[in-house]
Amino acid sequence: MIEALLAVTFVSSLVVFAAPDRVAGKLAALLSLAPLAGSLWLYTAFDGSGNALLPDGDLAFETMATWLSIGDLAVNWHVGLDGVSLPLVVLTTLLTTLAIVSAWTPIDERQSQFYGLVLFMEAALLGVFSALDFFLWFVFWEAVLVPMYFLIGVWGGPRRKYAAIKFFVYTNVASLLMFIGVIALVFALPVESFGLPEIAQSLRAGELGSLAGIQPGTLEVLAFFAIFVGFAVKVPVVPFHTWLPDAHVEAPTPASVLLAGVLLKMGTYALLRFNFTMMPGVAQDYVYLIAAVGVVSVIYGAMLALAQQDLKRIVAYSSVSSMGYVILGLVALTPFGLGGATFQMVSHGLISGLLFMTVGVIYNTTHTRMVGDMSGLADRMPFTVGVFVAGAFAYMGLPLMSGFAAEVFIFLGAFDAFAGAPWFTAAAMFGIVIVAGYLLFAMQRSLFGPFRLETDYEVGRAPLHDVVPLVVLVATIVLLGVFPELIFDMITDAVTALSGGVA
Amino acid sequence: MVPVQWYLLLSAAMFCIGVFGVLTRRNALVILMSVELMLNAANVNLVAFSFQHGNLTGQTFALFTMALAAAEVAIGIGIVLVLYRNFEDIDVGLPTTMRW
Amino acid sequence: MATIGEIAPAIALLPLASFAVALASVVFAPRLLQKGGAIPGILATAGSLVLSVWAFVHVGGGEPIEQELLAWAAAPDSFELTLGVLIDPLAALMLVIVSLVAFLVHVFSLGYMNAEGETGLHRYYAELGLFTFSMLFFVMADNILMAFMFFELVGLCSFLLIGFWFREEAPASAAKKAFLVTRFGDYFFLVGVVGIFAAFGTGRFVGSEGFPHLAEEAIAEGHEILGMSPETGVMVLGLLVLGGVIGKSAQFPLHTWLPDAMEGPTTVSALIHAATMVAAGVYLVARMFGFYALSPTLLAIIALVGGFTALFAATMGVVKDEIKQVLAYSTISQYGYMMLGLGAGGYVAGTFHLMNHAFFKALLFLGAGSVIIATHHTHDMWKMGGLKEKLPVTYYTFLAGSLALAGIVPFSGFWSKDEILYESIVHGLGTDGGLGVLLLLAFAFGLLAVFFTGFYTFRMVALTFHGEPRTEVAEDAHGVGWSVKLPLIVLGVLATVAGLVNMAPLDVEYLHSWLDTTEEAGLLTSAHHYEEVLHDVAHVEAATLTPIATAAVSLGLALAGALAAWRLYGSDPQPHTDRLGSIKELVGNNYYQDEYQVWLAEGVTLPLSRAADTFDQVVVDGVVDGVSSVSLFSGRRIRRIQSGIVSNYVALLTAGLVVLLVTFAFMGGWF
Repeated sequence: MIEALLAVTFVSSLVVFAAPDRVAGKLAALLSLAPLAGSLWLYTAFDGSGNALLPDGDLAFETMATWLSIGDLAVNWHVGLDGVSLPLVVLTTLLTTLAIVSAWTPIDERQSQFYGLVLFMEAALLGVFSALDFFLWFVFWEAVLVPMYFLIGVWGGPRRKYAAIKFFVYTNVASLLMFIGVIALVFALPVESFGLPEIAQSLRAGELGSLAGIQPGTLEVLAFFAIFVGFAVKVPVVPFHTWLPDAHVEAPTPASVLLAGVLLKMGTYALLRFNFTMMPGVAQDYVYLIAAVGVVSVIYGAMLALAQQDLKRIVAYSSVSSMGYVILGLVALTPFGLGGATFQMVSHGLISGLLFMTVGVIYNTTHTRMVGDMSGLADRMPFTVGVFVAGAFAYMGLPLMSGFAAEVFIFLGAFDAFAGAPWFTAAAMFGIVIVAGYLLFAMQRSLFGPFRLETDYEVGRAPLHDVVPLVVLVATIVLLGVFPELIFDMITDAVTALSGGVA
Repeated sequence: MVPVQWYLLLSAAMFCIGVFGVLTRRNALVILMSVELMLNAANVNLVAFSFQHGNLTGQTFALFTMALAAAEVAIGIGIVLVLYRNFEDIDVGLPTTMRW
Repeated sequence: MATIGEIAPAIALLPLASFAVALASVVFAPRLLQKGGAIPGILATAGSLVLSVWAFVHVGGGEPIEQELLAWAAAPDSFELTLGVLIDPLAALMLVIVSLVAFLVHVFSLGYMNAEGETGLHRYYAELGLFTFSMLFFVMADNILMAFMFFELVGLCSFLLIGFWFREEAPASAAKKAFLVTRFGDYFFLVGVVGIFAAFGTGRFVGSEGFPHLAEEAIAEGHEILGMSPETGVMVLGLLVLGGVIGKSAQFPLHTWLPDAMEGPTTVSALIHAATMVAAGVYLVARMFGFYALSPTLLAIIALVGGFTALFAATMGVVKDEIKQVLAYSTISQYGYMMLGLGAGGYVAGTFHLMNHAFFKALLFLGAGSVIIATHHTHDMWKMGGLKEKLPVTYYTFLAGSLALAGIVPFSGFWSKDEILYESIVHGLGTDGGLGVLLLLAFAFGLLAVFFTGFYTFRMVALTFHGEPRTEVAEDAHGVGWSVKLPLIVLGVLATVAGLVNMAPLDVEYLHSWLDTTEEAGLLTSAHHYEEVLHDVAHVEAATLTPIATAAVSLGLALAGALAAWRLYGSDPQPHTDRLGSIKELVGNNYYQDEYQVWLAEGVTLPLSRAADTFDQVVVDGVVDGVSSVSLFSGRRIRRIQSGIVSNYVALLTAGLVVLLVTFAFMGGWF
């Protein structure tokens, strides 16, 4: 099934590449409905249980075939979904379709290439979330970077080259670090393949040997931090976050949506799969350091957002802040902490996607994103502003929207997780005040008050196809906020086995 | 039978002449010829050792090298022709437009 | 036929439906709904009112309503988070109050908003519906997490409604401030909620599985709470939750949002102040009184904050010129009284005042609204005067509300305020240790505030309705329609007679016995149970004192304040407060509370965030760019080797080969 999903998405991207620019947007949206429908079908037909990497895992839609072997290590085509990856797969397909529709207005050159790259990236993303063999997974992981590099570098803003190269090099160097860490582990383990379940179970069973004279204990810590830093750049957490605002500001809206909505989740997903599933012992030994990184990301990211004038930069920095909660939830290693972290990945994907899209819709008409350049937009664009307000409140963690559920799960899970956890949790929770601060200030100044626009464009209502994706996202956010069990059930089923760290 | 050292001396001499030619001449055709000299120096080595060890693999390789040299000349002369068309000269010091 | 026990959620879901209808119509067919969407709202709140009364009657039969609504989230071996409905006597009473006030506000809006030709009415009614929905579910919440959720939604709705006239600067700013300040309080509340779950594994308010009872047991048995002694644990958690209460109920020092919130439509002010947002804080204290009653420190803090706020806000009300501002400060002050009552262990007294205040404050705000539309949107009391003849219905109902607010016998406010003061003095005198002393201090604050209350109330009445019209708008004030008068009359009657249900000095205690109605059901929320807890755990003792004494003193003070105001402003008002000089300056600027909070936001946080931004750009990003500039720089240098001359490349190649050969030769020991 997953092969079909990947193949359909990949072929769609080729078709769109070949299509004429005139129809590319509509065609891409139409074709992207297939993976969306497919992933929704996967959601309804999901019959897995347990965690994909652990012995209790009973995967859904699993396939395994030998691909090639490197030395005495086999590389397999091994894909499958568990309760953690399935929601992210659905998130990917949903956001891709919506991002494509939201691109109709702003993208007016080289359309077929743009939509082809977006679909290609979707295929790679689906691969990242479903692959269970390290080699296979790494191929998809790197394949995501390429289309995003072009999306930023070709269709981006004035400083697109700088942003694209920074994004590419930064995350690629990080990938290298991570790769070294994983390969070191693989060589020091008595494993016969690059299969993630095999690596994880072997590591958890304490079978790590020494490598190049490094003792197993030291090796595990070194590998943990190499991998952690590798993914931390992707997430991103402070202090590895500076590529993010540049990339977001320069990226075209649909690319921002996918960048914040799905690409950042690759980092947190991988952190969960590698660091916290394979080496929970190290995570527990360094719990204060990791929790501190999470808390600093939350507060520092929010403080940075407070200082920004550009709406996109505000949302970009607040992503840093939101991802800090994920780190805190992961390191708690409790059912609610891990489950909340995964829920936050999905929830933040939807909410940040929504806000970026709304900022994009506003930018399409006003041609500025500077808070100081506009005022009183609510008068001219009541509907868009209404959605913006809804999205902003979702970001602030308003109950009955998914952001609140995610944050409350994380807080509940983290509060009593380790000695001193209440202090860390309480400190991170102060983020909910700062987030309210910067979003409310920005909204008051740009959306309310008397109408004024520095750029002198005619401001009217947004076209329908700009608005439909926003409505879909708001509806999904509210749905998940009222009924979090829709996905939280399968998530907790998959992460409960991880709670408590090493038994 | 001539001892193998003589062949090696000959081959080393040929190789050095070839290297000297490549380093000092500016004419592309002469450089090409010097390269041929170096290749043939290697051939002499191969054949000499093959003869010494009574093993035909070396001679087979020498044949391979000749075929390779022929191909190389074809491409090399092609490049020289293009060079001439663009710069009206075959001085290798002239075409520096692709640097940096 | 379904019973009320089964359809209780409909009490709150009806307004949600009206929200949905109004929202759908604003999006799809603005012209489809007549009256700007008011009709669904009125029908829905009327339905809620009927169902609430039904629930009230049902609960009166001794059977509380409990129902699980939704299994919100759960994880194996961890917490189960649920949404559920709990209607005990307290909730039933509050449901009736909220739905009644919401219904009347909807009706009043017909006259206040529709008749004035406002735009965006669909939005207005949609937000009102959402507001009512949130508050009703907050009241019915059976656990603290659900309470927090709807507490926050109430905050959202107040943001939307205060900022209803978003095209002007002031309402947008006030809305932001209201949400931000209450969010600051809610932060502590959320920490408290999470802490309560971590400590007790449940958020249930009631029953032997509820956290107040578990905390009581922990204290009795000496179990640690979150690694602290049980007394400290309860105090810390209680204080954290209290943060939310102080924010929402506008207690010192988080009261600053409330006066600004007057920028919203007056109907909204009535709803926010009388029955929804501000009431939510105090209701929460009453809801989990079993928890607060465990810790004398908590009680003392609540009482002291309440008493201080009552006095503090009352003094500011004295110098205000705008009718709604006076009412705003009186709201802060009155909620201070409720906190004082609850902190002094007067569960019944606090609840009683909450009920009475809901009626008379809704009445006063709606009365003010009536005055405002009659005078063509004048807010300044100095531009009014002599409206008594023009607006007789408004005048008499407003007067009833004012008498209740000032605490003049036999209007409702008198009975409840007197009971609060009585509870605080008898418990203050009877209890040993710090709690007793602090209760007496809080009592002194409360008693002093009675005088100021009487003064500002009658200053307001006199300036607005008496004397000669001072401006043209006051002279040609027009009458108001039935939709304005009807709510005023209903509330006027209630403000007059509601106090009769619990005349403690006369031993009439219907409300007290009402709050004991379902004692048999084991919810542990009865007034009787709280008295036991107060006595056994917090060691609160009552001294013997005749209720008549405090009643006489407070009535005397209220009358003195009222008469003073009457003399100064009755016939020919002058701005007497100007004579106060620098004190007027201080009080008129609200003791500079706003200034320091704005300074905290704009003078501290903002520069801090700018500094962080600079640090981020220069240092953190500077390191990243620095690393890349190293490669760029060295690349720029090293590429000079690529001269483009083939001979150079060959020379380098040969040199390299030679170097390699020589190196290998040395390593291999050929020389």
